[in-house]
Amino acid sequence: MFDDLSLVFNYTLFRATLRASTPILYATLTCILTQQADILNVGVEGIMLCGAFTAVAVSYFSGSWLLALLAAVAVGTVIAAVMALAHLRYKADIFVVGMAVNMLALALTRFLLQKVLGTSGSFYDRAIVPLPRIHLALLDGNEVLRSLFNDYSLFEPLGILLVFFLSWLLYRTVWGLRLRSVGLNPLAAETAGIPVFRRKFEVMLYSGVVGGMAGAYLSLGYSRLFAENMTNGRGFMGVAAMFFGGGDPIRSWIGCLIFGFTDSIGSRLQSLGLPPQFILMIPYVATISILALAMGRKMAAQRRARSALK
Amino acid sequence: MKGTSRVLIALCLIASCFFALPVMAADKPVKVALVLAGFLGDKSFNDSAYQGLERAMTDFDVELKVMESKNPADWESNLVAMAAAGYDLVLACSTQIAEIVGSHAADFPDVKFGVIDGAIKAPNVKSIVFAQNEGSFLAGAAAALFTTRSEIEGVNDKKIIGWVGGMDIPVLHDFLVGYEQGAKFIDPEMRVLVSFAGTFNDPLKGKELTLAQYDQGADIVMNVASNTGNGILEAAHEAGKFAIGVDLDQDGIYPGHILTSMLKRVDVASYELVKDVVDGTFKGDTVVEMGIASGGVSLTDMSVMKEALGDRFPQELLDKIGELTEQVRSGAIKVDAYEGFRRN
Repeated sequence: MFDDLSLVFNYTLFRATLRASTPILYATLTCILTQQADILNVGVEGIMLCGAFTAVAVSYFSGSWLLALLAAVAVGTVIAAVMALAHLRYKADIFVVGMAVNMLALALTRFLLQKVLGTSGSFYDRAIVPLPRIHLALLDGNEVLRSLFNDYSLFEPLGILLVFFLSWLLYRTVWGLRLRSVGLNPLAAETAGIPVFRRKFEVMLYSGVVGGMAGAYLSLGYSRLFAENMTNGRGFMGVAAMFFGGGDPIRSWIGCLIFGFTDSIGSRLQSLGLPPQFILMIPYVATISILALAMGRKMAAQRRARSALK
Repeated sequence: MKGTSRVLIALCLIASCFFALPVMAADKPVKVALVLAGFLGDKSFNDSAYQGLERAMTDFDVELKVMESKNPADWESNLVAMAAAGYDLVLACSTQIAEIVGSHAADFPDVKFGVIDGAIKAPNVKSIVFAQNEGSFLAGAAAALFTTRSEIEGVNDKKIIGWVGGMDIPVLHDFLVGYEQGAKFIDPEMRVLVSFAGTFNDPLKGKELTLAQYDQGADIVMNVASNTGNGILEAAHEAGKFAIGVDLDQDGIYPGHILTSMLKRVDVASYELVKDVVDGTFKGDTVVEMGIASGGVSLTDMSVMKEALGDRFPQELLDKIGELTEQVRSGAIKVDAYEGFRRN
């Protein structure tokens, strides 16, 4: 029994958790930016999917991961710009726009997969150049150290840096303060002379940049292939983690880590003979519990705020 | 002048139609529809079925239509649409679609249905099932013989091997039963880690599950997961570990990381079904079983791995597999079958 447990809980779990949480983390960062300006970016799934496809296609044809990354970012930004235009300029409901982008992305990548890469389902080839990995030769000797710290894909540590960068940007700079004020009370912000429309548009574009990166990581860092619907709900899990953290980068990151952790534990428990139907349910149960937790906390905060007013 | 030549040409055209028509009617191509529970490009089950049909197209006058979808709601409408559109032969290529054939075959008495990986009894249905348990027995034995060879880089001395499947369906359990029996036949202490991805179309999930099994001490994992399996093979390559391919010869996808592949000759099955229809020998109400003895399942000759490992390649492993193949063929070893998988 203890032998079995050591197969589930051991040092390799650390790495597995980080790996599984990173795609969700990028999705979360994508919606945190817009959420601070009071825009719920549900189109993150579609932006990621288009980014992932672009990255694989460009990497395959050009042989350069950098070009692939830039192309994915460009595509992400364009989609976000269209969403911003529809939502801000023409006052379309952001939820509807987001869902439209998700559905379009699913069908469009499927179509382009057939037309551009000549296959369906999934595409992989040795000519696809992945994002570089950080290899430290001096850790090679020790099995444990190597598992914990070596051979990270460039975007895994970068994602963590991005969490702290965003946190600094939102809470320690004038730009962040103004952005949050736009989200909290646009009328007041407008009165104070902050260009609300421009700020919201700007932040949507940044969100497209991060969304494109998220897609590129999914197809060139996390794996080295493109598969139809490869995001498979990871974008929505990112939205859930964002709600869990209430739009705060560090707290939302913790939400992502919980997702990654439950997913990794699930993968390990299954191979020890637990029923797969139960294990495959874990990510969804985790999503609901995390959202319920976040909701509970929010309600408690509201109650506290009410009693303070009395 | 101009007018008369125009009339002449028109007359010639009409006349040629009358001459050509009977000829065309005689060689009317056989219309074949392939209905898949997934996509081509899996370099496995679906591609194998397609390869057989490609061969049939070069050998006979065949017109082919492929219907791909991973969405179970589409399978029934795809199948019915093809049967209603007057195809001569509708191939249902997967256990899941086989069941749909069972409920619709009677509605289209003039259409012939070929079922692969399921046993359906009806006057216009011919089914082919594979003894994947026998092939997996050999794969399990090969994995068990390989996993303790710690002199090969990437192999540890633990007696743990892995297996990752797509959806949790009976035919996959048939694979699994054979795999476990083969592993235990070599060493009763052998431990088999088993995971199902719950889908045939999520390579990322396949990769995650495989990496988890490597973390748990497995160094060789068998792929039985169509498109999801692309992630399994990628995990082997990335982690510097090993995998066993399935259905088609996948040894060359990541040379040196795929020990062998369990060949399931879906291509032979699809080719034979078309040939039956072309030759007029199609017989309904029959279930054909293809096992080791009939060449329906086997392992590859491991030549890719042999070349990658050079003189570190364990030749006695290959010899032992040859020996086991003979014993299964002759019936000296009886491989268990999964009871939930219908064979007749």
